[in-house]
Amino acid sequence: MTSTVATRTAADPGQGTRHGDSVAQALLTVIGIGAAAVVYLWWSDTGAIIGAAQWITNGARLCGLLAGYTAPVLVLLMSRIAPLDRTLGTDRLARWHAMGGRYLVGLVATHVTLIIWGYSLTDDSNVVHQTTEIVFHYPDMLKATCGTLLLFGVGAVSARAARSRLRYQTWYHLHLVTYVAIVLVFFHQLSNGDEFLHDQAARVCWYCLYLGAGAVILWFRFALPARDAARHRLRVAEVRTEAPGVVSVYVTGRRLDELAARTRAGQFFRWRFLAPGLAWSANPYSLSAPAADGCLRITVKERGDHSGALAGLRPGTRVLAEGPYGALTADRRSGAKVLLLAGGVGITPLRTLFESLPAAPGELTLVYRAGREQDVLFRDELEAIARARGARLHYLVGPRTEIGEPLQTRTLLALLPDLREHDVYLCGPRGMTDTAREALDTAGVPPRRIHHESFEF
Amino acid sequence: MRRIVLTAGGTAFGVLLLLAAKPHQTGPAAVPAVAAPQGAASGPATGVHTVTGGAVGTPLGPVQLKVTFDGTRITGVTVLEEPDSTPRDEQINAQAVPVLTQEALAAQNANIDAVSGATFTSQGYIGSLQSALDAAK
Repeated sequence: MTSTVATRTAADPGQGTRHGDSVAQALLTVIGIGAAAVVYLWWSDTGAIIGAAQWITNGARLCGLLAGYTAPVLVLLMSRIAPLDRTLGTDRLARWHAMGGRYLVGLVATHVTLIIWGYSLTDDSNVVHQTTEIVFHYPDMLKATCGTLLLFGVGAVSARAARSRLRYQTWYHLHLVTYVAIVLVFFHQLSNGDEFLHDQAARVCWYCLYLGAGAVILWFRFALPARDAARHRLRVAEVRTEAPGVVSVYVTGRRLDELAARTRAGQFFRWRFLAPGLAWSANPYSLSAPAADGCLRITVKERGDHSGALAGLRPGTRVLAEGPYGALTADRRSGAKVLLLAGGVGITPLRTLFESLPAAPGELTLVYRAGREQDVLFRDELEAIARARGARLHYLVGPRTEIGEPLQTRTLLALLPDLREHDVYLCGPRGMTDTAREALDTAGVPPRRIHHESFEF
Repeated sequence: MRRIVLTAGGTAFGVLLLLAAKPHQTGPAAVPAVAAPQGAASGPATGVHTVTGGAVGTPLGPVQLKVTFDGTRITGVTVLEEPDSTPRDEQINAQAVPVLTQEALAAQNANIDAVSGATFTSQGYIGSLQSALDAAK
């Protein structure tokens, strides 16, 4: 088994990373072409621009059009299209979405400001009067105003500072309000936008863009998960304590072989447990063992309300698992040698990869950092895998006060003199991954060979 | 942070470039085309009567007026047609037309000021008014 898969890897080394990057490039290009088309819509509809008022008003129209285009694109990026998610990585898509979100709020704010300013200049009226005029007397503008205020509200909540004071779930559900905002704002674009009033084709394209985004969302975020739920009927089989504050949840269900077949080692699901207090949230947890033998396992450290409550789950509790998502898989590697670098509970996806990542004996190394002896998870399993596969396994255990910073270039090079030739899969808490990245960087590991997915929002 | 500045700056720059690339003067010979006035009795008429001015084309659409005279005195102006293809046009007309009509009634001729912000409507209004006055002579 190992040798056949290793041959496949040797035949196309590096395909994964480059494939992901080229898909990212292609996607950005398509988005850019769309934006250019939107700009052309304005260009072909606009004649001479005379006087300050028209400069301002046309700037506002451009910003408005771009905002109207950005919104459905952002929704699409977050629609969890499985192949896209697997190729680009959930975290990259989330990063793009977050960046685009700020951009959208900026565009909308500029559009609103410039429209009011431009119209006031044209009519020679004051800003307050003009604002009332626009909100109450232009078609669909009352709806659009409500939508815009909602959007700004979500923007303010999502701003990093405000977010850290909110529970993740609250933030997440508030975020869903943007769907309402986008629908509310949609109509004023068609009923006031010069570009759409006189151009049937543009109107049709706009409807297609929005309805298409809506359909994709419904399909990937609702229809497919619902189908999976009905098909697999997952239930909690057992909850086992692995270490202080860390539990494994074993889940069984029907036709799990199908689920296993489309899951790659290193991927995660969004888990919703239908138990009091848990049903409202779906949290991302990686599988901590390859999906097999009619059983899925996740391993979770008690952190927030959600992860803490998992310890009290009763066997038989219904489970909805949405996924698999994520691109921290074998596809990412670009060479034969692989280092898995785990910190704390970040071992979970790496534990799965350690077992199933194609590698010849001696090519695979797991370095596992933990604060205390009793925090080390899966010790027996890891040692069994290491023996069976001829893989190397190192622990870096102990508090920093006693052993110093364990993740130093020096330490890593001592373990792996040829560190530079490795692909590194990195998973752990934020501080640990930052330190590790720095150490790897100093050791000369190129950033494109460091594979990391962050779930911290 | 650098990314945000770059995208925001890039967008602002791009928008300015696009705006700058557009022409900034009205094209030459923007003489509004005037269709012949309809149903106008030639020669001065007495008593209260109406004359429909010619439809004057503007880049936003034609403007056409119906002017009411009491003898040779202008007593009222009704707009039959005006640019109304966007809500914004309608809004602009709603403000400009009463002003233009007031000016016309005060001046008793078509030699009136355009309303700022409603250049095209004003052009069309003045053109159609003039054609109605010509027809009424």
